[in-house]
Amino acid sequence: MILLPAPIVLPFVFIILALLVKSSKAKSILSIAFSILNLAIAGIILFQVNEVDMIKSQMGSWPAPFGITLIADRFSAFMLFMSALVFIAVTIYSVQSIDKERIKNNYFLFTFGILMGVNGSFLAGDIFNLYVWFEVMLMGSFILISFGGERIQLEGAIKYLILNLISSFFFVAGIGILYGKMGSLNMADLAQKFAFTGSFPSLFEPAMVLFVVGFAIKGALFPFFFWLPASYHTPPPAVSALFAGLLTKVGIYSLIRIYTLFLFHFDYFWNPIILWLGILSMVIGVITATSQFDFRKVLSFHIISQVGYVVIGLAFYTISGLAAAIFFLGHNMISKTNAFMVAGWVHRERKTLNMKVLGEMFNKNTLWGVLFFISAFSLAGLPPLSGFAGKYLIIKAGIESDHIFVALIALFVGLFTLFSMTKIWIEVFWKNNPTENAAENNTKALPHGLMLTGSIILALSIIAMGIWAAPIVEFCEKAAADLLNTQKYINFVLK
Amino acid sequence: MRNIILEKIVSLFLKVMLIFAIYLLLRGHNNPGGGFIAAIIASTGFVFYAIIYGTKKVEKMLHLSTHQWMGIGLLLVLISTLLPLFFSKEIQTGLWIPSDFPVLGLLSLGTPLLFDTGVFVTVSGVILTIILSIMEVLEWN
Repeated sequence: MILLPAPIVLPFVFIILALLVKSSKAKSILSIAFSILNLAIAGIILFQVNEVDMIKSQMGSWPAPFGITLIADRFSAFMLFMSALVFIAVTIYSVQSIDKERIKNNYFLFTFGILMGVNGSFLAGDIFNLYVWFEVMLMGSFILISFGGERIQLEGAIKYLILNLISSFFFVAGIGILYGKMGSLNMADLAQKFAFTGSFPSLFEPAMVLFVVGFAIKGALFPFFFWLPASYHTPPPAVSALFAGLLTKVGIYSLIRIYTLFLFHFDYFWNPIILWLGILSMVIGVITATSQFDFRKVLSFHIISQVGYVVIGLAFYTISGLAAAIFFLGHNMISKTNAFMVAGWVHRERKTLNMKVLGEMFNKNTLWGVLFFISAFSLAGLPPLSGFAGKYLIIKAGIESDHIFVALIALFVGLFTLFSMTKIWIEVFWKNNPTENAAENNTKALPHGLMLTGSIILALSIIAMGIWAAPIVEFCEKAAADLLNTQKYINFVLK
Repeated sequence: MRNIILEKIVSLFLKVMLIFAIYLLLRGHNNPGGGFIAAIIASTGFVFYAIIYGTKKVEKMLHLSTHQWMGIGLLLVLISTLLPLFFSKEIQTGLWIPSDFPVLGLLSLGTPLLFDTGVFVTVSGVILTIILSIMEVLEWN
């Protein structure tokens, strides 16, 4: 299939143009054009995959277990499409939100670097190739998080960089061990060999433990989440919106991928671990969020809690559980990014995100207030927004697979999320401005047309995903059925 | 302070390094060598030149900015990657020009060489960007 490498080649073409073109205006226009193109390609791939189940492409015409495989099944096509949606919104938002100096110094080059890494990770059918795309993505994010070199930014960047390097180290060490034992790196080939030798778990545990720890650090799961709230509130708001939407989700995507290909052979060992990782991230993320008084820090802690939902969906390991996890992942990407975008607007108006000194933002601009309402209450899980469908599916899947206790916890965590979101709503948008600085309230609003456009795109997607949940859930169920049918994946790649 | 002996040696050194880099570039793929190592050696020559003559002179010598050189290198990589598409093959498939030249003998010209040249230009661009900007900040010479 000729179009399959396009999501990787397209950002690469943009990077070349960004290096050759000098004017910042041309760079901004090109970045929007390329992100639209990326969405179109992701849409075509999604459409094609829905017709034929899976498509693959062999790099350099080398056959499957030897060459690098790019493969898109329904799950990866869905993730590609959602990340393209997030990316287009963030790009339009950034054109106005990011300062001139950063755009002139090739800000967009690095966001497209992240896009290239993210798209590559979703398409990779080779575990070392997956690692390489992780590195591409991390390289872009390392630069973006420290880009501009403000003092607070560098403090966050060091924590982010060290923890992520450690996780990459675990991941690549696991790959080394696995390659030494199996002599192959192609995921389908490995899965097939596991199916034959799966009765000797001690042979593979070291590599699998390293993988799970590496992905848990990347995805900010319970014992390894400390880097995320320590760093996500430091860079410019558009950058944290992009990170919140894309980066942790790639870690979770990889966890789901290796669980459905390898780990399920040893599920008597892994299933309780994954389940408890999910429950603890969910509960601890939401409880720590309530004690925060920084807008972006509250949202950062909520990322951890939301990732927990996806992981418990994976741990149920039924079609409905996995479908719920996939749906929730997509919902969370758009809702979280939009919440961060609203935080970016507040920061632009008031130059601070400390909730104690903010207030009356609803009077300043009603539309932004509504946009925050949509994303926040989608995260909390109110109908008719996408979060309601996501949480409903997770809880339903939990009850169906006899995890009633877990389903109850998920329900209570939803209540706590609602509490946090209401707190932000009251503190930032509703209460009287505590600084009582009349001059500040009367200053003319800064231009925010493009920022608004980016945010509205996501808000409409949230509503659409909530209203037309039924066909999306149907798609996710097919994706989940494909994920559970490992033999189909193996046969398709190795043929 | 100008030092004529150093200046002469450095200009000669740059030429030697560039020729050696091209030798390594062409030798690559089947033998030790290749784009990356060639780029490091070529940029060493430029760095020595910059230490003696100053960064301005190197920038003038390169004609384009180092960013643009990076872009050109990546463009060569892109071309070598996408070229097989026009022969209805998967991307990154190696294509070779069948060649048996009268004097040079058997040469293997193909997309891997183009790819390596792209790597050569990109890596030289990256190294020179890093080192020249550090030298400018520190106001070396």
